[in-house]
Amino acid sequence: MNILSIAILTAALLLIVTGLYMLVRTHNMIRIIIAVEVAMKAITLLLAYAGWLNGQTALSQAFVVTIIVMEVVVAVVAAGLAISSFRKNGDLDIRRLNKLNG
Amino acid sequence: MTTFVIVLCLVLMVGFALSAAMLRSMLKSAVSLAAMSAALAVILYMMGAVWAALFELSVCVGLITVVFISAISLTTPDRRDEAHTKDHRQRFAALPFILIAAGVALIAVLVSTGFYLPQPGEEAVAEAAFNQVLWQTRQADILGQILILLAGAFAVVVLFKEGRKI
Amino acid sequence: MSAGLEFVLLVFMGLPLLIVLINNLLKREIAQKICLSLGLIAGIGQMVAAIVVFVSLNAAGQASVDFSQFWNLTAGASRFSVDFFSLLALFCIGMVVTAGFLTAGKTIGDKRFNFTNLAMIILLGMNGIALVTDLFSLYVFLEITGVASFVMIALNKEGNGIEGGFKYLVMSAIATAFILGGLAFIFMQSGSLLYSDVASALSDWQNVDQPALLIVAFALVLVGFSIKSGIMPFHGWLPDAYQSAPAAVSVILGGIVTKMAGVYAILRLTGDIFVGVNLVNQILMLLAIVSIVLGAVAAITQTDFKRILAYSSISQIGYILLGASCGSAIGLIGAMLHFFNHATFKTTLFVNSAAVETATGTTEIEKLGGLQEKMPVTGVSSILAFLSTAGIPPLAGFWSKLLIILAVWQTGNFFIAGLALFASIFTAAYFLRLQRCVFFGSAVEGLENTKEVTGGICLSSVVLSVITVGFGLLFPLVLLFVQSQGLI
Repeated sequence: MNILSIAILTAALLLIVTGLYMLVRTHNMIRIIIAVEVAMKAITLLLAYAGWLNGQTALSQAFVVTIIVMEVVVAVVAAGLAISSFRKNGDLDIRRLNKLNG
Repeated sequence: MTTFVIVLCLVLMVGFALSAAMLRSMLKSAVSLAAMSAALAVILYMMGAVWAALFELSVCVGLITVVFISAISLTTPDRRDEAHTKDHRQRFAALPFILIAAGVALIAVLVSTGFYLPQPGEEAVAEAAFNQVLWQTRQADILGQILILLAGAFAVVVLFKEGRKI
Repeated sequence: MSAGLEFVLLVFMGLPLLIVLINNLLKREIAQKICLSLGLIAGIGQMVAAIVVFVSLNAAGQASVDFSQFWNLTAGASRFSVDFFSLLALFCIGMVVTAGFLTAGKTIGDKRFNFTNLAMIILLGMNGIALVTDLFSLYVFLEITGVASFVMIALNKEGNGIEGGFKYLVMSAIATAFILGGLAFIFMQSGSLLYSDVASALSDWQNVDQPALLIVAFALVLVGFSIKSGIMPFHGWLPDAYQSAPAAVSVILGGIVTKMAGVYAILRLTGDIFVGVNLVNQILMLLAIVSIVLGAVAAITQTDFKRILAYSSISQIGYILLGASCGSAIGLIGAMLHFFNHATFKTTLFVNSAAVETATGTTEIEKLGGLQEKMPVTGVSSILAFLSTAGIPPLAGFWSKLLIILAVWQTGNFFIAGLALFASIFTAAYFLRLQRCVFFGSAVEGLENTKEVTGGICLSSVVLSVITVGFGLLFPLVLLFVQSQGLI
């Protein structure tokens, strides 16, 4: 019975594809942050599954807890940048921010 | 039973990810993300990662959603955004098909190559307590968590506090 | 190991933390006055500590030492450990942070309080990257360095800075996803992420359950670190981040941060984990040479001082990775020395760009000209740095490039060795263009009254130039030391 490993790997791939697709297709800064979060969920899932497989559940839990703390700080900083940009430009469109090119 | 619940939650996660990408309202996207985190928390619990499930539930479902909702409410009273969202569904119309194709392709590869991972429980390893592992072997990570919270605090000072003066 | 040395090791983590504490406990008016001096103390203290540890390790004949004060050394624990390469990196970090604080004195304005806090966090994050012996802890410290850098780039909260910071954040998040995805698969097979355990899992990778999965895992990790170091197909964010950051921030960012976050990690991986995995080395060599050539070509067409430096960094990072990809001791030594040299001359050049920006108010080279007479110190130090970058003997850059190209030649890839040599001509080309536009010729209208910058900026370019020249002249001694360690 190997349904579970196939299901988890497939789900992780689909989540990452969704995240990357969102990242490429959206111009809204907050949506970009949501896209990053979607991809990070897949990573959390894989790490927890890895710990479950090799019997190191305690270690993988330590990893997952640390990742969650990192994730929330990155989300706060990203939201802060988005809000600063909104105060500057009046919208969240990333295409407005293309003064730097070349 | 465990397998059934986990697979169900995986389906839910992918479904919520899809809705986070495709829904036009950003608020609904943020809520979809929270629902995704909740499904992930159930999976973590089923895998025996109780502490991780607790963190996922409190921090990702709770705190991150609050961050997103406040960011959205601080930035969305913006009429121009409507024109932008009109072509939103169009831009994401291809996503479900891409996901189906990617899923079928990966499953086909895995099944045809006879992919196999050991099932949990096949290798019995002495279960160490989470607290012990975290505090005794991951001191570098704990130091790192303290530092990143400091960095986050300074970030809030730079990005939010000074902005109000303007 | 003597108890004294253990306390010296604490400097790398304790001193910056102490300074953050002091900075925030003081009254804001006092803190505004002395915070930059506090930062200088951290930078200089770190250089001194690195030298002290180096000397005592060398005297004791040890290759590495673990942190043991306040540290639980249970088996399998993620610990901090110092060896010669991490000491070299720690010294570079201290040097660049010192230069950054010297530059900040004239350029940072009233943001100096927040600048000091964030620079100390970046310093702690980079020291962590240099010290860890565990892949997951490496990710943790990468993230700390990253978060502090995003905010530093946006420190002035003007449009370009926010854009550069957000782009860096998104690219860094994608890189993190790749790295962690790879780590999850590695962890699945090895049950631990300590460098030593991963290396032993890799050494018999054909015997694990799913060798294909392990290959995918290492490919993911490599792509992630390539994005972080900004080598050529993954470089999109790097010039934006460098150009948009405030002057003092781009000194720290361009001089060391991206090198620690990407290149140092890759050097650690090739030195400690992928020992003798040919496939990895070949892929790395290919990426490196693409970076060297395309980075140099792209630098020729740029019109902004800092952007030229950014593309030059992409090209020089290629040389470092090229040395690491040879899989031989001489290549790795060359890579490490080029790492040090690059930190020196690239920091000099970023300090020079800060000097030019302070004196004239712009970094666009079309608007500049004839600054050599007005700003002699800046002009001479930038020429020295550029000659070292292009690999002209007897400056420091020549020796490390020589070792790297020698190592590539030994692996039998004559074409790549030739290409790497040939790319030096491009390096000379873009720097000559930069020098001609900015420093040579007659003064452009409106710049007649430009004056040389004084104080910290001037001091740091002089000191860094002395290091570049001195290291080049004393290079035979360095080679003798390396030989005495039995590394070549």
